[in-house]
Amino acid sequence: MGEQLTMKGKGLSIQTRNYEFMVKFTPQREWIEKQGILMLLAMFFIELGAGTFLVSSFFQNRSGMLTGWLLCGLLGGGFHLLYLGHPGRFWRMLFSSGLKTSWISRGLAFVLLFLVGGFLNLFSPSETEIGKYLLFLTNIFAFLTVIYVGFVMAAVNGIPLWNTALLPILYLVLGIWSGLGVTLLNFLASGTKVTTLGTVEHLSRLFLFLFAFLVFVYLVCVRYQHTAGEASVKTIVIGKLAPLFWIGVVFMGILLPMASLLMETIPPYLLFLLIIFELIGDFALRYCVLKGALYPPLVPTNMD
Amino acid sequence: MRLGMVIDLKKCVGCYACVVKCKQEHFLPTGMNWRRILISETGEYPNAQKHVYPVLCNHCADPVCVSVCPTGATKRLETGIVVVEEDKCVGCRYCVVACPYQARSYHREEYPYFPHQGPTAFEILREKLYPHQRKVVLKCNFCIERIEKALGQGLKPGENYEANTACVNICPTKAMVFGDLDDPDSEVSKYIREKRAQQLHPEYGTDPSVYYVIS
Repeated sequence: MGEQLTMKGKGLSIQTRNYEFMVKFTPQREWIEKQGILMLLAMFFIELGAGTFLVSSFFQNRSGMLTGWLLCGLLGGGFHLLYLGHPGRFWRMLFSSGLKTSWISRGLAFVLLFLVGGFLNLFSPSETEIGKYLLFLTNIFAFLTVIYVGFVMAAVNGIPLWNTALLPILYLVLGIWSGLGVTLLNFLASGTKVTTLGTVEHLSRLFLFLFAFLVFVYLVCVRYQHTAGEASVKTIVIGKLAPLFWIGVVFMGILLPMASLLMETIPPYLLFLLIIFELIGDFALRYCVLKGALYPPLVPTNMD
Repeated sequence: MRLGMVIDLKKCVGCYACVVKCKQEHFLPTGMNWRRILISETGEYPNAQKHVYPVLCNHCADPVCVSVCPTGATKRLETGIVVVEEDKCVGCRYCVVACPYQARSYHREEYPYFPHQGPTAFEILREKLYPHQRKVVLKCNFCIERIEKALGQGLKPGENYEANTACVNICPTKAMVFGDLDDPDSEVSKYIREKRAQQLHPEYGTDPSVYYVIS
C-alpha cells in the first residue's frame, strides 16, 4: 500500500499511499502484484495455448495442437491453480451458481471442455466422422477459451481501462496472433513445406496489423472515456509503464515484425527471433493492461 | 427487508471511532479495515474544501461481487446483507478486483501486531472468539451476528442498541442511522427522504444500501 505510482503530464501526479486509497486514482493490485503475477502468467498461457491449438488445428498440425494443449493445460491451468488461495476448492467453480453469472466460472468450464476435447482429439484417430465433429466442438471451446479472459476483465466496471467492449476483441486477436507465432515455430521445427509456412506467415502479418490498429484504437477510446481511463493510458504511454510499452509492445511486438516485411526472404533464425519478439509484445501488453488499471476516486477531488 | 445505513457527512467529525470499533468488534487482522475514512480536498486556498467520507461495504441491492463470484461464496441474504461464506471461497479475488468501491480485502497471511514479542491479548482472543480463515476474502458484514440475534428476539433493526451495527452505536455524533430501507416508516428511510441522502457513485449500477447526506 505504501508503493508510489507517479505519472507526469498535465502537472498531474498520482501517488497512492495508505491515506490516499480511493481518494486518488488507486491501482489494481490483486491481479498483478506479488502472487498476482501468477494471474498474468495464467491468462497469457491459457490464451496462447488455446490460440495455438485453434490455429494448428486449422493447418492440421498435430504437434502444434499438442503444444497448444500443453501450454494451456499445464502452464495456464497450473499457474491459475497456484494463484488461488484454496486450489482444492476449485471444483466449486463448476458446481455452483457462479456458472450462471461469473466469467471465471464460465472460463474454467470452457478450458476444461477444451482440454478434454483436445485430449480426445490428440490421442484418437481424427479421420472418422465422430473425430471431425469432436475436433469442431473442441475448436469452438478453444475459441471461447481465447476470448473469455477479455470478458473476465471487461466485466469490471470499476476500472475504465478494462470496462470496454474492445478488450475481448483485442485479446482475441492477441491470442490468435500469438497462436500463429507458436504454430509457425512448430512448422519451422518440423521442416514443413514452404507453401504452408507462407500461408501462416501471411496470416500472421494480417493479425500483426490488426493488433497494432486495435492497440491504438483501444488506448484512444479508453483515453477519452473517463478521467481514470485517461490516467491509466498516460501511465502506460508516458508514465511508469512507458519503457515496457514502447520497447516491449511497440518496438519488439509491432515495429520489428513490421520491419521484417521489407525483407524479401526471412532466414529461419530471424523468423524465430521475430516470433519470440511477438510473444514478448503480447506478454508486455497484458502486463501493461493489468498494471495500468486504476480505480477512480470515491470522493470529490480536484482530479474530477 | 433490506438493511441499510445513512451517514450524515455534516455530522461526521472524522474521529475514526467507527473504524476502530469495527476492527475491535470483528477482531480484524493487522492491515485490514472493513471501514475506512476517506479524506480529500477540493479547490485551492482560500476556497479549499475538506471532504470526510466514512466508507464501508455498500451491501448493494445488485452487487457485482455476487455476480462475479465463481463459487457462490458471496451471497446476498434476505435481509439485504452481502456476506462471504469463508468455507466456500476459493481465493480467486475476482470480487476484490470487481468491487468498484474497493470494500473487500484478501486475508493473505496473519501478521502479528508486535513481531517477535508474542501475541497480544487481542490476538489470543481472536483465535478463540472470531477466527478468520486465511487466503479468503473478507468484508464488512453489517455486524450480522448481532443483527440476526436481535431479529430472533423480535427487535427492529436500528431501533435498539442491540439491533444496531457496532459502528452506529459507537458514533459520538450520531452521524449514522441504520435500519430497514424497505420500511418507509423506519428512521433510516425517513432520514434519507428528509435529508435527500444520496448513494455513492450510483453510476456503477449496483444500487448501494449505504446513503450519504452530503449538503
